[in-house]
Amino acid sequence: MQVAEAFKHAFLKQMLLGFQASVVSPKSMGFQERKSAIKLSADVAMAVARGTRKWTRGLIAGLSKEHQNRSFLQLILGEQYERLMKPCHSSWKIPRCKKIVRRSLRVCCRRKKKKNQVGVLARTLVAKRTQELKILVPGGESMDGFSLLDETLDYVVSLRAQADLMQSLLTTIEASKLRSHSKGTLPERKASYVGN
Amino acid sequence: MQCLRAPLSDLSVLERQRPRVEWQQQGEEQSDYQPYDADYCMQSLLPVETAFRALHSCGGGVENENHGNVHGSNDCFSNAWPDIASGMHCPVVGAAASVEETSVNASSSSSSSRKRKSENTRRSKENSGSDGKDDINCKRLKEETGGGATPEAEQPTSKENDKAPKSDYIHVRARRGQATDSHSLAERVRRERISQRMKYLQDLVPGCSKITGKAGMLDEIINYVQSLQRQVEFLSMKLAAVNPIMDINIDSFFGGREINPTCKPGSISMIGMSSELLDQAYLQLGSLQHDMFMDSPALLLRPDVNPPAAVSDTSLGSCLNVSGSSVWNTNLQNVYGVEFQLGRGTALPFQSLQGNLLPNNPKMEM
Repeated sequence: MQVAEAFKHAFLKQMLLGFQASVVSPKSMGFQERKSAIKLSADVAMAVARGTRKWTRGLIAGLSKEHQNRSFLQLILGEQYERLMKPCHSSWKIPRCKKIVRRSLRVCCRRKKKKNQVGVLARTLVAKRTQELKILVPGGESMDGFSLLDETLDYVVSLRAQADLMQSLLTTIEASKLRSHSKGTLPERKASYVGN
Repeated sequence: MQCLRAPLSDLSVLERQRPRVEWQQQGEEQSDYQPYDADYCMQSLLPVETAFRALHSCGGGVENENHGNVHGSNDCFSNAWPDIASGMHCPVVGAAASVEETSVNASSSSSSSRKRKSENTRRSKENSGSDGKDDINCKRLKEETGGGATPEAEQPTSKENDKAPKSDYIHVRARRGQATDSHSLAERVRRERISQRMKYLQDLVPGCSKITGKAGMLDEIINYVQSLQRQVEFLSMKLAAVNPIMDINIDSFFGGREINPTCKPGSISMIGMSSELLDQAYLQLGSLQHDMFMDSPALLLRPDVNPPAAVSDTSLGSCLNVSGSSVWNTNLQNVYGVEFQLGRGTALPFQSLQGNLLPNNPKMEM
């Protein structure tokens, strides 16, 4: 599955705006700081480009937990930031009616007596993996099984696009760097030939 | 078995027409589903699948239940076709193409009893759109061809996919020999939705086509997500290493040229958002802007003089061409054209911004 062109445009634009806003330059920052600033820009860009999904809000909420990121996020997102920050809690439990839960447990118990025990092993494995996936996908804890898969699908597509776009940006910069270096060293090479 | 050949072309017609129908019916709800129009189209096939599979299992055997959705839609379509008279073809195609629902609605309410259940409004709208007719036609043909007892016995206990755009209900048909209480039906719907998502994820994650179990699939998905996250981190590290070059001119280029991304008509919010961002960007650039615009043409003309400022216009353009975009070829006519077609109120600030920058652009395009 491919992302839309609009996503790619929005992502690149947003990321470069983010670079500029965080003033990524070798003079002001060390290597680690630069790396984390770039990563932050990239994540925010991905979330902004995708629009409103559960995982995007979870991602921005997670990023803004670090106090140092908050000013950056506010700058980048502007008024969107306030809107995004409002009802997103990572510890939001899915509200469930007790009566229905009790009734479904009774039905499950009745059915379990008939079924064999092999299914239980599979179910625990699935539950364990689901829990891991909830940790990986941003904002995943407050999702039930189906929406978790849905958000995972979306998140994977966006992550892949993010990685591809960053890769292409990297190769472009490296290519232009090479070109400028070759142009720059050409007169030097000529001089060295003349000298020899 | 001639009818096996014909339906495959009909199926493609069905698939082609379905997205159009969905579009007509569901306007702005597309906005959240931009990245996958394919996915959105695919979703609507599910209820038709269930309808046909239900039909098939009614015809013979309950084994289909265990296969789940893994086989894909083509199988159940080709299985189902022999059961149905060829008169099915026309109604199916007609159902997909047409949008009027009132006549069939009236007939469906009279033909069978229903059990209702509340669900996602969006899902019910998708379901209700085109397959209500399929279901009803299936049922009618079944009544004609099958025996008297079994279909009638099924009727009181079965549900139907009904088009009821106002209600929030999803209608499901109970299969022959299956329990028909609401819990098991709800579970079946849930399981089918989950298995459909797993199928998409299987297509997405490389190397997952052999794995069929849910736990194994989840394992692969987790590994893939972790590897993608690690890859992003690695790339950001590389970008940090190479970054000293990327100092100045990018943002001026960006601010000058990338005004209006080609948004799909549903995404008003994105246009609005990018206008805000551009405003911010312009505020930030502020006094730098004059210098940038003055300097950039000079820098472009003599790149060898200033090697550090190496991210040139064309290279950034080529970077984005790698992404396959065409707006970057600075066909401003097209950009304006897109904007006017979109015709949103929020496009107006763009136009004013573009008016300011237009004199500068010819210089930059060199």
